[in-house]
Amino acid sequence: MMISREELRDSARKGLGSDGLAPDPVASWDRLVDMGWFALAVPEELGGLGLGAEALAAVHVELGRALVPGAAIAQMAAIEVLCAAPDFADRAALIPAAVAGERIGLSLDAPGRPATGCVIDADQVRQLLLVSPQRIALAPVLGATMVPTWDETRRLGDVAIGAETVIAAGDAARGLYDLATTRVLLALAADAVGGAAAALAMTVDYLKTRRQFDRPLALFQALKHRVADCQIALVAAEALLWSRAAAPLTVAMAGALKARATTMFRDVAEEAVQLHGGIGLTAEHPCHLFLKRAFLDAALAGDADHWNAVAGQSALALVQPAS
Amino acid sequence: MAHPTDVSTTALAGLRADLRAWLAVNRPADWRACATHAEFAASQRDWFRKLVEAGYAIPHWPAEWPGGGRSLAEQKVIYEELARADAPRLLLSFVSTYHAFATLHECGNAEQKARYLPGILRGETWCQGFSEPGAGSDLAAVRTRAERRGDVYAVNGQKVWSTMAQYADRCLLLARTASEGAKQAGLTYFLLDMTAPGVTVRPIHQIQGDEEFAEIFLDNVEIPVTERIGAEGDGWAVAQATLSSERGLTLMELGYRMRGALDRLAALIGETGRTGDAGVQRDFGALTGQVDAVCALADQFLDRRMTGQEQVGDASVVKNAYSRALRAYAALGVRLGGIAAQRREPITYGDLNSGNWMADFMNSYAWTIAGGSEEIQRNIIAERMLGMPREPKGWTAP
Repeated sequence: MMISREELRDSARKGLGSDGLAPDPVASWDRLVDMGWFALAVPEELGGLGLGAEALAAVHVELGRALVPGAAIAQMAAIEVLCAAPDFADRAALIPAAVAGERIGLSLDAPGRPATGCVIDADQVRQLLLVSPQRIALAPVLGATMVPTWDETRRLGDVAIGAETVIAAGDAARGLYDLATTRVLLALAADAVGGAAAALAMTVDYLKTRRQFDRPLALFQALKHRVADCQIALVAAEALLWSRAAAPLTVAMAGALKARATTMFRDVAEEAVQLHGGIGLTAEHPCHLFLKRAFLDAALAGDADHWNAVAGQSALALVQPAS
Repeated sequence: MAHPTDVSTTALAGLRADLRAWLAVNRPADWRACATHAEFAASQRDWFRKLVEAGYAIPHWPAEWPGGGRSLAEQKVIYEELARADAPRLLLSFVSTYHAFATLHECGNAEQKARYLPGILRGETWCQGFSEPGAGSDLAAVRTRAERRGDVYAVNGQKVWSTMAQYADRCLLLARTASEGAKQAGLTYFLLDMTAPGVTVRPIHQIQGDEEFAEIFLDNVEIPVTERIGAEGDGWAVAQATLSSERGLTLMELGYRMRGALDRLAALIGETGRTGDAGVQRDFGALTGQVDAVCALADQFLDRRMTGQEQVGDASVVKNAYSRALRAYAALGVRLGGIAAQRREPITYGDLNSGNWMADFMNSYAWTIAGGSEEIQRNIIAERMLGMPREPKGWTAP
């Protein structure tokens, strides 16, 4: 099936349009199901849309832009791993259930992350997909303890799990780990690009409207240059996102993209609060939602320090030692 | 994503293969070995002649010229391959083939075109006489005077930052013919013969030891009226044709060259035994991502140009993203090079990523200042792309 990036963007904006920033978690999860987005990457022979990385990124840019709550990134990556996994007993039933919105948690092996911790919407997931380079396993979730987190749009928790069913090991596990990791990193980069675009647009509008010294703040060159810097970083990160989404991606490349995009989002969100002045410090203004989401995006699935080091290692390994 | 272009993918692949084969034989391997700037200029002349003969020097000219009539997609292939092969950049002929060509082609009369365009292909070089000590970012503040005296204009003034003017045969000159009214409206455009009496060129000694720029002094220089482009007062409009002549290929080419030159940094990391240093890996990885983003951005920019989707400010974003990455590249080299990088070594002419880290660092200012400084680009991005209000005019000294 061929759906262009623009068509997906437009349908996403239409679907999410009226809900505003940080919409209701339950209603927006239902909306994701209704729009068929959990079937996005499911192969056509399994009843899905069979779309690739570019479509995934297009959707997550819009989810980031609207600060949509929930675990869409984890759900979509988990579904994709199940589709690509070797067959196992419950697979045929599990995929359509997940596409219909039944929640699967994703535990992606990342530095500093406990296998059963930091699960988004932990109190709603029924199963946990554990993904590491050595082993892919599925386990029932027996209970959850939610952990208060700063990001108000994604709730994290720890889960207790039952017996694990191993789905893949060895080379097969490595392949599935790479798939899940590149997808999650790409989606987080997309989320960051969408969030930064919205935060920057909001800031530019505010500077045009807010008047001090009998003129709009937007007239001050010191402030113009700061938003111009945000724009340069945003446009560059977005260009990298689309070029990475259009080509085969290694984990190191996806990691470098995620590092770049989430660092950019954090910088833009930081500027957004500062340039809004006092109003940016109030809970009723949405500035802080971007800031908090940006920091969680930066921390999820390995931070910029980790992925830049991985990218550096990989780039250095590609260079022949000088003779 | 596929784009509608007037050239098939097969034809592009054919062009790429032909050029790659040609470069394998004809690329000058020793272009970095020039000991003086004059020697470098001579090597540039040879390289330009070779490219003209092979039909790769002027792909953006119309089809009636040998090697012309290439689409933007084909031009992109040519510059990608030149960068990939690490061939010398075309620096000496840049103003001639882009700025002088576009100005003559768009604004020159038939006689002027016939007189000068063939000369460019024969290797005549042009320089640009726009900036002045008092007219940098504020180009319209040009004060060099041109006074009509019968069939000639008598020109007096000073130009500065003119790239490779010391080798130029001719100059694209912007001068003032009227001082009343809007400052843009008093400007007129001329073609200046650099051998005319009263023209003095002085190379500028730059901080890294290069002499890429020069000053031009004009002392009662007589320019025939026939060498004026457009009417008196049209100079500003003609200058826009000059300045918009380059279509974004340079930044793409430079981005690709910088990506290739990441190997120089990697080699430095290896030589200093820090391949396993996590902090160094991290900084190198971050720089790699920054350079990759510049390349993706330049590619996207050209794709948009080809499909007519370019928007105001896009070019400024690409330029700033490139100039910052270039600075970051050199800065990491200087830092990792430590005390050894502070030893002054002979510079490499015509290479922005030479691995002579201090020289590269100082060279990077050429991109953050020349061709519209970073600060001017940020104004453009804020005002024309993000729609913020323009700076109010008028200021009186307290």
